Amino acid sequence: MEKEKLLRIEDLVLHFSTTHGAVQAVDGVEFSLDYNKAVVILGESGCGKSSLAKAILRLLPRNIAKYSGKIYLGDTDIMLLSDETFRQDVRWVMLSMVPQAAMNALNPVIKVGDQVAEPAIIHLGVKKDEAMRMAKEMFQRVGVPEDFLSRYPFELSGGMRQRVAIAMALVTLPSLIILDEPTSALDLLTQANIFNVLKRIKQELGTSYILITHDIATSSELADDVAIMYAGQIIETSDAMRFFTEPLHPYSKLLMASVPRLRADADPIFITGQPPSLISLSSGCRFAPRCPSRFDKCDQDPPTADVGGRKIKCWLFS
Amino acid sequence: MAQANPSIPLGGGVEEVKKKSKIDSNNTLVRVAKYTGLRIITLGITVIIGIYLTILIANMGGYVDEIRRAQIREDVGARVAGNPTMRNLPAEVKRQKIAEMVAIEEKRYGMDQPFITRSARYLGNAIQLNLGYALKMNSNSGSKLVRNILLERLPPTLLLFATADIILFFISLFFALALSRQYGSFFDKVLITLTPLSSAPGWFYGIFLILIFASMLKILPFGGMVDAPPPKTPFLYFLSLMKHMILPVLSLAISKIFIQVFSWRTFFLIYSSEDYVDMAKAKGLTSRDIERRYILRPTLPTIITSFALLIIGIWTGGPILETIFNWPGLGRTFYQAIGQFDTPVIIGEAVIFSYLLAATVFLLDIIYAIVDPRVKIGGESSSI
Amino acid sequence: MKSLKKNFQELLKYPSAVVGLILVLVLVAISIYAMVTIPYNEAIILWRGGEDQWYRNPKYALPKWVNYFRKDKLPESIALSTIDHPEYKTVETNEDGSAIITIEIPFEYNYEILPVDLMIRFTSNFQEKAPFISVSWIRPDGEKIRIKNLSISPKQDYRVSQDKDLQKKLGGNKIEVGLFTDYKNDPKTIEKGKYTLKIEGATFEKDSDFDAEFIAYGKVAGLGGTDHLRRDLIVALLWGAPIALAFGLLAAVGTTLTQMIIAALGTWFGGWVDILIQRITEINLVLPFLPILIMIGTFYSRSIWVILTAVIILNIFGTGIKTFRAVFMQTKETPYIEAARAYGASNTRIIFSYMVPRILPMLIPQFIILIPSYVFLEASLAVLGLGDPTLPTWGKVIDEARANGALFQGWYYWVIEPSILLMLTGLAFAMLGFSLDRIFNPRLREM
Repeated sequence: MEKEKLLRIEDLVLHFSTTHGAVQAVDGVEFSLDYNKAVVILGESGCGKSSLAKAILRLLPRNIAKYSGKIYLGDTDIMLLSDETFRQDVRWVMLSMVPQAAMNALNPVIKVGDQVAEPAIIHLGVKKDEAMRMAKEMFQRVGVPEDFLSRYPFELSGGMRQRVAIAMALVTLPSLIILDEPTSALDLLTQANIFNVLKRIKQELGTSYILITHDIATSSELADDVAIMYAGQIIETSDAMRFFTEPLHPYSKLLMASVPRLRADADPIFITGQPPSLISLSSGCRFAPRCPSRFDKCDQDPPTADVGGRKIKCWLFS
Repeated sequence: MAQANPSIPLGGGVEEVKKKSKIDSNNTLVRVAKYTGLRIITLGITVIIGIYLTILIANMGGYVDEIRRAQIREDVGARVAGNPTMRNLPAEVKRQKIAEMVAIEEKRYGMDQPFITRSARYLGNAIQLNLGYALKMNSNSGSKLVRNILLERLPPTLLLFATADIILFFISLFFALALSRQYGSFFDKVLITLTPLSSAPGWFYGIFLILIFASMLKILPFGGMVDAPPPKTPFLYFLSLMKHMILPVLSLAISKIFIQVFSWRTFFLIYSSEDYVDMAKAKGLTSRDIERRYILRPTLPTIITSFALLIIGIWTGGPILETIFNWPGLGRTFYQAIGQFDTPVIIGEAVIFSYLLAATVFLLDIIYAIVDPRVKIGGESSSI
Repeated sequence: MKSLKKNFQELLKYPSAVVGLILVLVLVAISIYAMVTIPYNEAIILWRGGEDQWYRNPKYALPKWVNYFRKDKLPESIALSTIDHPEYKTVETNEDGSAIITIEIPFEYNYEILPVDLMIRFTSNFQEKAPFISVSWIRPDGEKIRIKNLSISPKQDYRVSQDKDLQKKLGGNKIEVGLFTDYKNDPKTIEKGKYTLKIEGATFEKDSDFDAEFIAYGKVAGLGGTDHLRRDLIVALLWGAPIALAFGLLAAVGTTLTQMIIAALGTWFGGWVDILIQRITEINLVLPFLPILIMIGTFYSRSIWVILTAVIILNIFGTGIKTFRAVFMQTKETPYIEAARAYGASNTRIIFSYMVPRILPMLIPQFIILIPSYVFLEASLAVLGLGDPTLPTWGKVIDEARANGALFQGWYYWVIEPSILLMLTGLAFAMLGFSLDRIFNPRLREM
């Protein structure tokens, strides 16, 4: 019998309407996540990763062309909930987020302590003192000194701000945190520190992560599962161990080969061509134009095959 | 700033940090005080320069000198008339005596000195509102001192413009917020269509309002501050005052409100596309909370700057608005002084407007400092 | 920046821009028309008024065209002179040089409303003995009323309507009632038809002569109505346009360009230049702009050129500098400027190829939107009584209207006509400017 999964996404679609046409940013995404696990969504810039985060969190802009699919948290399809119910029961209760550049994501005129305490007051119904106490505790966990509670975002360094953002995402102890490029704006040392914090929290609090990034190297530390995203679709899901030793999808292979390694003899390989524009997408396999293994069947949209628990969207495996 | 080692939870070093935070809060107070003090000094210098420029411009035609000379002559004349021995001298001798005394006084006041010293003297006097005597005008209490005339007319001006400013501020804020929620809606488009109306100043609409409501419909007064004769009871006086304030305030409102609502609503729209607003939404805040804390609060400094410019613009149009509505304030006095070529009053008006403008800027600076934490903490020194 | 044509096409999509543009063109057309039909010097002379310019007009009269909207037409003024119509005059000279001169001035009166005032202007020339005349009034039914006998000086205005003796003669009624109605029976109905003013006179010297001009002041006159000096407002209404446009444009362009240059200098040289400019801007903010202008206007000169210069000088360190400076700062620090300098581009090239195209989208809407404020500023000064004394501007007309109690007396046209023109000018440039700003500087792009 299958254990209940924390998260199950089925056929998630998010299209934006622009003056040039509909941008099919998220086009039938499917993956799932167990409790207390971290999945890394890897992909190039412009493949729709950030839109995926927005789609899950229901942070929709005004120009929506299409938004559909199923998102199961436990046994509830949160797509079906009204906006108000979503706001009260899902936001920051079940799901929270650590944004990319915390400087822009923190309100410049409110003290960071207040901002971290805010969700606790709203969702847990605690009073201000109690919420500040919880914020202080989270600060400790992520390694931010207590007196920073009364500071403003512009007084903090980049690394500190990111930690504050993590503390803020944790304060209501949600089951799932979505991290959108959490360290891309930071230097390597701070990056490593942040990932240590994330690892520790996963251990101590049992949180699950969806980590969206293009940084393969650092994310491999944290990942239990890997999902590769290309042109709005998930083309391979796998557990991290097997993925990093043997990627299956041609794109995954090229992706891994493009990572420079310290002790490898071969130079990194570049993937020729450009990712397709998300506006005018062909009907066949979206990677086919750049794929070294393409063949005639690739003119049709490949099905997702199950290869020993891993899912591959490629004709080579169907 | 103390950077804790990220892998070790805080333990030692907490005491250090606690001490530092106490020093910091004292520092905040010191910083705010420093900021206020600095602004007072800067504005003070600005006022001095402004008044000096006024004196320069006025004295290029020799008018300020003239005022001084006239004052001297008047003082000497009064002294002679009040002195029993001198009063009864024959005309020729008296004239000579007066001329001598005038010469002495002029020397005493440095009238023979170069312009720099003279003007510095005037400046000193002007700053203290020691503006001499009016030529023809009087204050209501009969005093001819320019200072008294002007200070007497100050409260009505303040009343009218402060009321108009406050009403404009809150109504504009309300509508700007409301419209920023409905971008592209019908009312939004109506607003955009109406913004060009703000190209006309308040007094212009004043003329039309008088035409319609006072001349044609006869339901509101033509002008003035209260009915004449003024009502006896404070309550009726208050009502009469309100009735007379309607048209002038309405004129100002029509002139300024559309562009204010439009620019603030644009600010709100721009600020609402900031990342932290999305973050607030993700955190599950209600729309009202988001609007209040994540859109309005951060935009407040910009709004205050914009409002400051508006107020300064309103001050500029003051004389004409008051003239049109016959409002007994500084502006109308200015108009009367021009008509009677009462030089001391004209110059005095320019000086007092300098003060008023500086006071406005200062007030708004303080509010700005309270609202923008970067100023409080001493990040960047921003000011209007 | 997109090409001119593309920008223009996009501009046409905004209705307010189209309306604004049309209005601007209308104003320009009016200005050209004014300058062509009434050359500048003539306009000044006309506007100065005086005895001989406008005496044929009534005071405070509505414009002629209101009669289109009325069933009972308001009477227009009638002015008939023997100088223009020598056929009215017959001269019988005697041998000794004296003469009998008979003047008959006919006119039709078919209005339902009486004229406001009646006057006869006599001009005569003689050495010692003035001509002696007898004035009579012939009604349509033939009845002749003796009005007055008098001897006339070289220039004499006989105000018929103020003649008390005549009034007594006509039963104590108003002169116009007496002359135009059968007042004994029905003073309310005007006798319509042909009237004649008959002047019989004698001159006593050789070459002595006299002329007469009969004026029946109506209630409408001119294309713009008349003011307290009997001037046809149309002169000021027409000429107000080029003056307003010129003042507004010169002031707006002058200030905006200068501000841009100052901001550019500040960002280019940086250091103390920049700081100095910022300090001056702060001081300028607190300078009481209008009071200083008022001082200049009262103490020195109200000439529009002096005022224009003062306005520009007082405004060049205004807040516009901050906006320009922000754009310049942004441009200066962009990588492509650095790259341009690295490959050795001259300063001129950098300025004209890179900075100017960045600044133009800000500059053009800015100065167009400023034009109305300067137009209204000129009007403001006029309303305070500090307008240029010789120029016919809209603000001047409003000022005179107010000073002569137009609002109390119900002479609304006097206020409304110049006000509408002012408003249209303001709206025209504001609408155009705002639309341009929305096109050039779309701040809400993604929405």
